[in-house]
This record gives sequence, C-alpha cells and structure tokens, in this order.
Amino acid sequence: MTNIPLWLIPLFPLLGTIILASIAVASSPNKKGAPEGIVGAIAVLLPAMSFVCVVALASTMPDSGIRETICNWIDIPLLKVDIGFLFDGLSRIMLLFVTGIGTLIALYSIGYMHGDRGFARFFAYINLFLFSMIVLVLSDNLMLTFLGWEGVGLCSYLLIGFWNKDLKNCKAANKAFIVNRVGDIGFLLGMLCLITIGGAGALNYDLLNQFIQMLIAGGHVELVLPMLSLAAVLFFVGCTGKSAQIPLLTWLPDAMAGPTPVSALIHAATMVTSGVYLVARLSNMFVLCPDVLNLILVVGALTAFWAAFAGLFQNDIKKVLAYSTISQLGYMFMAAGVSAFDASIFHVFTHAFFKASLFLGAGAVIHALAGEQDMRRMGGMIKKTPVTACVMIFAFLAIVGFPGFAGFWSKDLILERIFTNCNWVFTGTWLADGAVPMNKIFYVTGLFTAVITAVYMGRLIIMTFFGEYRGDKETESHIHEAPAVMLIPMIVLTFGSIFAGYLWAESIGITFFADTLAPVLSAAQAFDPARMFNPDMMLEEFIPRITTHVNPMLFAALGTLAALFGMFVAWKGWGKAHIPSVKGASTAPEGYAKGWTFLWDYVHLFFIKAVLIVAWICDVVVDKVLQAFQWTISAIVSIVGDGATVFQVRKVRLQLTLSLFGVALLVLVVLLTGGLV
Amino acid sequence: MLLHLLVFAPFVAAILMVLNSKEDFRSATRMAILFAVAFLGLSIALVAGGNIATTPMEWFWIPGCKGPTYYYLYSHGLGAWMVFLSCGLSLVALVSARGLLGMNYRNFAIGIFSLMGAMNGTFLAADAVLFFFFFEAMVIPAAVLIASFGGEKRKEAAMTFAIYTLVGSAPMMVALWYLLTFADNSLLLSIALAVQGLPEATQLVLLICFLLAFIVKTPIFPFHGWQAITYSEAPAPLSAILTGAMSKAGVFGFIAWVLPVFPFNMTEISTMVWLGLASAIYGALMALRARDGKKLLAFSSMSHLGIAVAGVFSLSEAMLPAVLVLLVAHGISAGVQYFLIGVAERMTGTRNIDEMGGLAHKAPAFSFLFGAAGVMALAVPGTAGFVGEFTVLLSLWDLSPVCAGIMGFSMILSAAYVLRFIQKVIFGEAKHECKEGVKVSGLEGVAYGTMLVLLLTFGFHPAFVTESLHLYDAPAAEQAEETAVTEEVIEEEVEEEEEGEVEPLESHIVNSSDIAKLDSSLIQAGFSEEERKELIKQVIETEANIARSTALALEKQAREETQVRGVEDKDYEINDAEMEGHPATDAAPVNEKEASND
Repeated sequence: MTNIPLWLIPLFPLLGTIILASIAVASSPNKKGAPEGIVGAIAVLLPAMSFVCVVALASTMPDSGIRETICNWIDIPLLKVDIGFLFDGLSRIMLLFVTGIGTLIALYSIGYMHGDRGFARFFAYINLFLFSMIVLVLSDNLMLTFLGWEGVGLCSYLLIGFWNKDLKNCKAANKAFIVNRVGDIGFLLGMLCLITIGGAGALNYDLLNQFIQMLIAGGHVELVLPMLSLAAVLFFVGCTGKSAQIPLLTWLPDAMAGPTPVSALIHAATMVTSGVYLVARLSNMFVLCPDVLNLILVVGALTAFWAAFAGLFQNDIKKVLAYSTISQLGYMFMAAGVSAFDASIFHVFTHAFFKASLFLGAGAVIHALAGEQDMRRMGGMIKKTPVTACVMIFAFLAIVGFPGFAGFWSKDLILERIFTNCNWVFTGTWLADGAVPMNKIFYVTGLFTAVITAVYMGRLIIMTFFGEYRGDKETESHIHEAPAVMLIPMIVLTFGSIFAGYLWAESIGITFFADTLAPVLSAAQAFDPARMFNPDMMLEEFIPRITTHVNPMLFAALGTLAALFGMFVAWKGWGKAHIPSVKGASTAPEGYAKGWTFLWDYVHLFFIKAVLIVAWICDVVVDKVLQAFQWTISAIVSIVGDGATVFQVRKVRLQLTLSLFGVALLVLVVLLTGGLV
Repeated sequence: MLLHLLVFAPFVAAILMVLNSKEDFRSATRMAILFAVAFLGLSIALVAGGNIATTPMEWFWIPGCKGPTYYYLYSHGLGAWMVFLSCGLSLVALVSARGLLGMNYRNFAIGIFSLMGAMNGTFLAADAVLFFFFFEAMVIPAAVLIASFGGEKRKEAAMTFAIYTLVGSAPMMVALWYLLTFADNSLLLSIALAVQGLPEATQLVLLICFLLAFIVKTPIFPFHGWQAITYSEAPAPLSAILTGAMSKAGVFGFIAWVLPVFPFNMTEISTMVWLGLASAIYGALMALRARDGKKLLAFSSMSHLGIAVAGVFSLSEAMLPAVLVLLVAHGISAGVQYFLIGVAERMTGTRNIDEMGGLAHKAPAFSFLFGAAGVMALAVPGTAGFVGEFTVLLSLWDLSPVCAGIMGFSMILSAAYVLRFIQKVIFGEAKHECKEGVKVSGLEGVAYGTMLVLLLTFGFHPAFVTESLHLYDAPAAEQAEETAVTEEVIEEEVEEEEEGEVEPLESHIVNSSDIAKLDSSLIQAGFSEEERKELIKQVIETEANIARSTALALEKQAREETQVRGVEDKDYEINDAEMEGHPATDAAPVNEKEASND
C-alpha cells in the first residue's frame, strides 16, 4: 500500500486554480495576456499529477478502500460534519477517468483555446472544475459531496458563459445554474431527511450503510420508509438537475454555448454523470425504496427515448451530441432503476470515452471550419480531416453499440439487466391479463432508443464527413487538420472507446469491472426488497427473477441488429439525400420538431412566467399599496401638524391661557392620582 | 476597558477628526483609516477574548420607575461578532470612500465614527435603557450622513429613514418604560421577571411593541418601506454599513432582548416565522424585478435577513450558531457587494443595471471581485453563506418541512436575481465609457479581497464563528453562580418555560421545585390540567434521555474518535425509536410538545 495521502489528489488542481487565477488577474492589464506555454504547462501538469496519484493508489488499494478524515468542518448542535475522503472501488473508477480524461482534455484545450484572450482564466476554471469533481467523488459524506456538486455547477456556469461578451452565452450559463439550483435544493432537503432519520452521522456514507443495515436487521425499515422514500426522491430530483433528466434537462443543450472542450469534459464525460454516481453511492438507500427505483426507471426511459428523438431534429452538431448525452444518461438511470448500479457505472465509464471523443472530434471540425456548427453547411470533411473523421467514426461505432466496441458491451449489459432484473409488474383490473410485466416494455423502449441512436448518429456522421461540401468557398480553402496537441488526446480517447468495453465483457468471460465495484455495490444489488417486510405477504406481488431462461447471446444479437438497422435507416435517409441549403443563421429546428425539442422549455416557461407574474404583483400592486398606506399616514400627520401650527402663531394671550390651563390640568391629575410615582 | 474603548473611543475619534482641515483630503483619510484599523483590532480582541463584562454603574433614575438604570456593558459571542462587523465594515467604508471624489471626507469620517460607536453600544449594552439609547442613537448619524452625502433624493431618503425607524421604536420605548415601573432595575433579568408576572394580554401587547421596533429595523415585510430608498440613496460605503451591521441590530434584538424576556406561544412563533419567510420570498421577488443596482441589493438583504429571522424563531437547538454564522456571512457578503456596486456606480455614473455592462473587459480585476462576491452571496458550499443557510434550513426543517421548502424556493430565486445582477453589470457589451481615475485602488482591492477570503475561511472553518458561543457559555455559567445577574440564567429559564427540555443546563437534574416552577408557569400560559401533566411527564422523560446522552457524549469525548461517534449517535437514536415506537431524533419530543401546544 502506497503512502500517498488522499488529500493530495484534490490539492493539485486546487493549486492549479490558485496559480492560474493569480496569473489571469495579474496579466489582465497586460495587452498580450499571460504566456501560453507556461499557463498550458501548469494547467496540464497539475491534473496529470493527480492522475498519477490516483493510479498509484488504485493499483495498491485494499478491497475495503482507504478512509481518511482530515478535519472537522461544521460542528454545531444537530449537525457535525467532517471533511473526510473515501477511496473505494466506486470512487477509484470515477477518479481514474475524471482525472485521466480531465488531463487529456486540458491538453486538447491548449490547442483549441490558442490565442484566446482569456487563456489563463479558462484553465483556472478547468482546474477548479477538476478540484470540485474530485471532491465530489472522493468525499466520504454527503455534505462534502454537495460542496463538489455545487462546485462543478459553478464551474459549468463560469465555463458556459466563458465568452461573456455575447449575452446569449451568459443567459445559457444563468439557465444552467438556476435549473441546477432547483435540483440542488432537492439534494439539500434530501440531506435534511436523512438527518431527521439518522442524525448528522447519517450523512457519512459508511455510517449511513451501517445505519441501514441496522434498520433491516432490527426490522425498523417500515418505520422510516416514508421519510427514506422522500429522501430518495429528493436526491433523485438533485440528480435530474445535474444529470439533465426529465424535467430538469433544458439547460444541457443550451450549455453547448461554452467552448467545445468544456462540453466534452463537463457536459459529456464527467459532471453530468455525477447524478448516476450519487445514485450508485446511495444504492443501499435506494434499494429500500422500490417505488423510487421504479420512478427512476420510468424517468430514465422517458428521457432516453425523448432525447434520442430530439437529437434527430437538430442541425447544430454540438446540439445533436448534447441530446445524445441526455439520452445515454437516460440509459444509465434505467440501469440504476433496476438496481443494476454496476452496469450504470460501467456505461458512465465507456460513455466518458466515446462521448468525449465525439465532442473533441466535433470541436476539431468546428475549429477547422472557423466556428461553423451547422451540419447543413458541412459535408465531405473526411477528405480534408481524415484523422478527425476516423476518430469520430470509431466513437460512432462505439455509441451505436457495434459489436466489439465499448458501447456494445455496456449498452447491451444495461438492456439485458433491464429485462432480467426488472420485477415490477403493473397491475390493474382494466388490463386484459390483469398484470403487465414492465420489464418487456422497458426493454423494448431501450432497444427502440438504440435504433434511433444509430439513426441520429449516422445522420451526424454522414452530414459531416460524407457527400459534398456545402459551406461557402472561402472557408473551404482554410479547412485544415487539427494540430498534434489536439489530435493526441483524441486518438488516446478513441483507443478508450474501442477497448474500454473489454473490462467487462461477460460473454467472453471478463468481469474485471464488476469485480472492482463488487465491494461497494454488491450488497445493494443482491438486496431483495421482498424480504424487507413480511416475506410471506410480499412475495406474491413480485414475480421471481428470470435470469436463467434467456440466452445472453440473444440480447447481443438483438442489440447488434438494432444498431445495424439504425445505421441502415440513416444511410437510406441521408446517404444520398440532397440537403437543402440554409438561409438564416438559426440552427434551431422548426415545425413539429421545434415543439418536440423545446417541450420541456415550455414547461419551464410556465413556471418562470408564474414567478414573474407573482413578482409583478409584488412590485406593482403590493408594494404600491404599502407605500400608499405609509404616505397616507404621513400625510395625515402633516395635515394635523399644519392645523396645530395655528396655535404656534404670535398670539401671546392664547398661548398663555393654554399653558395655564395645561398646568392646572397636570396639577389636578397629580392630586387625583396621589402624586408622582 | 475593551468594552468602554469600543463604545466611547469612536466618539472621541469623531471629535479628533475635527482637527483635520476640510481641504486636506490626504491627512483626513490617513487619520480616519488609522483610527478604524485600531478599532478593528479592538473588535478582534473582543471576539477572541470570550465574554467579558464591565462592573455595572448606576446611571440615572427614570422618573416613575422602581429601580435605577445601569451603565453596564457585556460582551457575548453574538454581540462580539456584530461589533466585529460594525468595525470591519466601517474600516472598509472609510477605505472605499476615498474613491468618492469631491466630498468632504472629514465630515464623512466623523459620521462613520459616531455611527460605529452607537452600533457598538447597541451590541454590547446589557441594560435595556442603555440598549435603547444606542439603538435610537444609531439612526441620527446615519440619517445625517445620508442627507449630506447621498444621491439625488437624499433629503427624502434621510427623512423617511429617520422617521420610519424612530416611529417604529417609539412603542418599544413606551413598553420599556411601562415595564420599568415595576421591574427592580433595567437589567435583562429584572425585566424578564417583571414580564412573567403580567397577565397574558398585557404580555402580548408589550411583545408586539418590542417586536415592532426590531421588525422595522431589520426590516421585515410589511414594514420595509424605508429600506429600498434609504439603501439606494445612501452613499455606497454607508449602505454597506447599514445593511452589513446596522440591520443586524434588528435580528440581534430578537435574539438578545425579545427571546429571553418574553414567553412565547406557538401562534406568536409561527407568525414570526411566516413573516420572516414572507420577507424572504418578497425580497427575492422584488430583487428579481429591481433595475436599480442598490435597490436590488437592498431587497436581497431583506430576503436574507428574513431567512435569519425565520431561523431565530424556529427555536431549534442549532438556532443560535446557525443564525450567527448566517448574520456574519451576510454582513460581509452584502457589505462587499455594496462597496463593489458603489465602485461600479462611480465608474459608469449610473445605478441602473440595464445601462451597465461590459465591465468584465474594461476592469477585469474589479469584475473578478464583483463576480466572486456575487457567487459567494449565493451560498455556494465552501463559503460562510452556505454554512449559515444550510444550518438555518436545518432549523426550519425541524420546525416544519414546509418552511424549509419555502426557504429552498427563496434560495432558488436568489440564484436567479444574483446571476441576473452579475450578468447585467459585468457581462455583455459596454454601454458606457469608463470615467478616468476612479478604478479600484490597490488598498481598496486588498480590503475587498480580504472580505472575500474571510467568507471562504468561515465557510471552511465555521468554528471560528461558532466557537465564540462556547466561550460565552462556560464563564457565563460560573458568573451566574456568583452574581446571579447574568443573562445566561434568564435565557435558560425562559427557554425552560417555553421549549424547556431542549437545552437544559448540563448539570440539570429535575427536582420537585423545578417541576413546581414549570407547572406554575404553565398555568400562567393557560394550559389545562391534562396538558400540564402530559408535558411534565415528557420533561422528565427527556431529562432522563438527556442525562443518558450526556453520559454517552462524555464517553465519546474521552475516546475522541469521530468514526465511532456517529455509530453511537445512531445507537441511542435507535433506542429512542424503539422506546417511543417511531423514529425519533433528539428533537422529536419537542415537536410533539409544540404540536400539543397548538
């Protein structure tokens, strides 16, 4: 076991943030800005050192994990929280790809951000993001996770609005932060629920798990179940915000306003998956609430399906990828909803590679076309930028689930688990059979979504790389392959998107990935909700699991068929089709596609309008009434005052009379009441 | 000595400032800042030194009153931190005001020092009359400063401010006088005892009189009419002091003077909590629509203080440290935001945020500070605001989840208006040319930067703030035994009568005389026979529980192992759960009691 303290891992990016922020502020009056060489070196080396630490720790970690309490954070009655870190199977996987991909994307950004005025500021934000993300996954309690949780949200805000001269970007950034804030309040209230049940100690993951075990052992689950379910729902609300699920998903497509490396790192590979991480981390709590798991399953399925369709309608290359990310996140939540937490983390892992490759490739394309993002103005790029095209095509094969590529293994596993693990049966007297096993419905939804995934991704690849170039001639002459500093990270990630799946390829007997997660997740996954309460009563409502009846090869074959069919449809639809040239600058879809794409924006708009109307009432009605009231009183006082001045004119005789009268009255009162005191 | 110095030396400094000439700007600034640094040093010593008190000196007899009024200063955790805010913000205000060219700096400094002295007096007074004296005295220098250095409508603003707040506290003066006619003297204990003997209806009237003064000062909806115009017309450095330190006098009054003196019933508590939450939402909504940058900050301040007041009246165990951290965090973050919007105002020449913009490119250092201050006002974890807001949220959750939900909504709204504010001021394209020579000076930048660093420090180590409450506890208990003229005792007693079981003295053992006392006060509070029996039974049970948990806690401390601590926490919580047939935290019996009160 190596003796690297855990706090070193977040320390490096934090140092990077402080150094780079100082450079950024110090160089701001300087016209040229900070030297890019030094800034870039700091920005890449510090995350790389974190990565080295993680690798060193990961290779020698004991199965039970490493725990480290640094110091006390908050210590008041009702709330005691420590700053502590927990390095176990789950945080190991997350940290490896967070720091690894983070370093690669920082390297890529040196090329992408070359010549930008805010070069140092950009890398200060990236390092702050990595710090927050590391804290999020490494912390041993929910409060510290929340620090990372809001920290990554803040960095996302800063980076989406990075080019802040354009108010459109600022608005997208504000939207991202505010929508996330809604989810964060869910997270906060969820923590309060847990404190209500188990005291402040329940915020610590280890103690929470022990507490839940004690509950099960003592038969107290029923007592806390309402509060626990509420906590689970509230945490899931937090996850829908961070991981862009229905209904809090509208911010992610808008977030594409940020620089493309940011989209790759934050809005595809790492931050948006933290919701999945949280569900896996709290898996022991979630499995106690089967209804909440069903909710997660439904939300995940709806999101996956809806976003895949929305991806089909986009013309902006980054928007397609954004909706694709939402859709893939939906898959991950579907897996979590059927208690297959390891499968969901596996998909997080493979998705990080292929989606980052896709985004970086899209970034290279945009870079080559001098900022053009509309796919209708692209085409034929494979001749001009062959390396980028290869990277994207490999990543494309991974995301559609072509056999042998990373996405094949993880997506297939999720679909299989949905079919085998889901024992939710929908009952109703109005149904023909009286009961519908939901596993089939969700499996078909997942499979159909996989077909659409292949269609929209195929469309993206065909419109970008094949056919004729459709942009203006001037840009065409400048199209160039990206510099090496950008290509190297892309190629490394491509290797990841091809081979990452072989860490858990069950059909060829590799279960390495599942084994590393087993110490953390196996307890939750093996948990049978039927035994939680009275076994006799509950077993009737659950149908037994049907793991053995289906040949796993059948799932693989169906998944492959779905991918191939989708690719075929895409080739039929867009391979030869003439794409109409665009008139306006807008890339937004029109007609029915617009309605589908912005469905949830309309829902949000309803709430926003409601708040604005109430604000208007406060401002225009309530405040004016209060002011009117206030001025009425003051007016009355001044009128009475004016009246009183009558006595203040020079009428000596009247004033003398009044004074004498007053004194007489006072004396009378004193005499009658028996003197002062 | 420290206390005397903190209260009177500012007035002396104000007089000494007269030595400077009106024209000699530089020497006036140097002298003022040197004085202010010295006061800040004193206030830090006060915060670090725990609680101290002066010897009570008889001040004067109010005609018609039974006992004398004392000149008696007393410092405890809460007051000490408020004094720190007042001294610190005054220092930064004096630094910041150097940038406001073309004003009479000497007179400004005189005003600031008098205001500081009055505020320190308010936060340190242990005598009700002394407190009221300083509480009213604060208004005058502030109003004069607004009238002399404010914006276009400064006269109107100064008048509104002075009249509104003075009228607001007039009922308190009458109520106080009435109480003094039969209280032994004007110290807290005597007043509290005097209130206990009164019929309930009279108590309620007196309570409303007291509450009104503090509600107006904080301000709480619907008595906030003076706030927006005052804060927006006052010069920005003064607005920072007004919101950062002076408005705290209201919340301070609730904690230090209303809660220990008056017995509360559930209706009053819930009314205050709802008023606090209403201000939180109302302030946030108004801030969402505000176009004037300083008005926006005024409403945001109202929103945060509304949350603080709701937190105070949640009366949970965590209330005092939670509200203290929230107040300190808000004082610093609202203060620095006001200073910075003042800088923006002098750079662009307007307060209208629609006409600002593009400062991120023109003044990057300023924008960095501005953005950081804004983000810290959002209560992002790692800043003091988060610790304060989360703990207050916890207190409110203890009271009722609905309240916590409303507070959560106001937190969402706060994100909306703060981000809108940041976007309008520093992002986008510039709409105005920067004037020359009024950018953030080095010293100013350091001062604002230090405030932001303080927010981060308290965010990661709130013990700096919360520890001061422990300092307050231990010696106070000793003093209580000796002199019996200590606020601690009263607070304990009153809490005992109200929510009694929550925080008994550590060595507290229920004996028959205690029960009798509790019983009699319950009779006064109008509880029926059955209810009283039920309550007393609960008290005894809770006592037993607490004794047990204290023993456990001692064991825990002995071991000093954090990991083990949590497990045991749960151990006895589960015991509790088994005993009472439902999952219970320590606070559950209280909730039950409150429910039965209802």
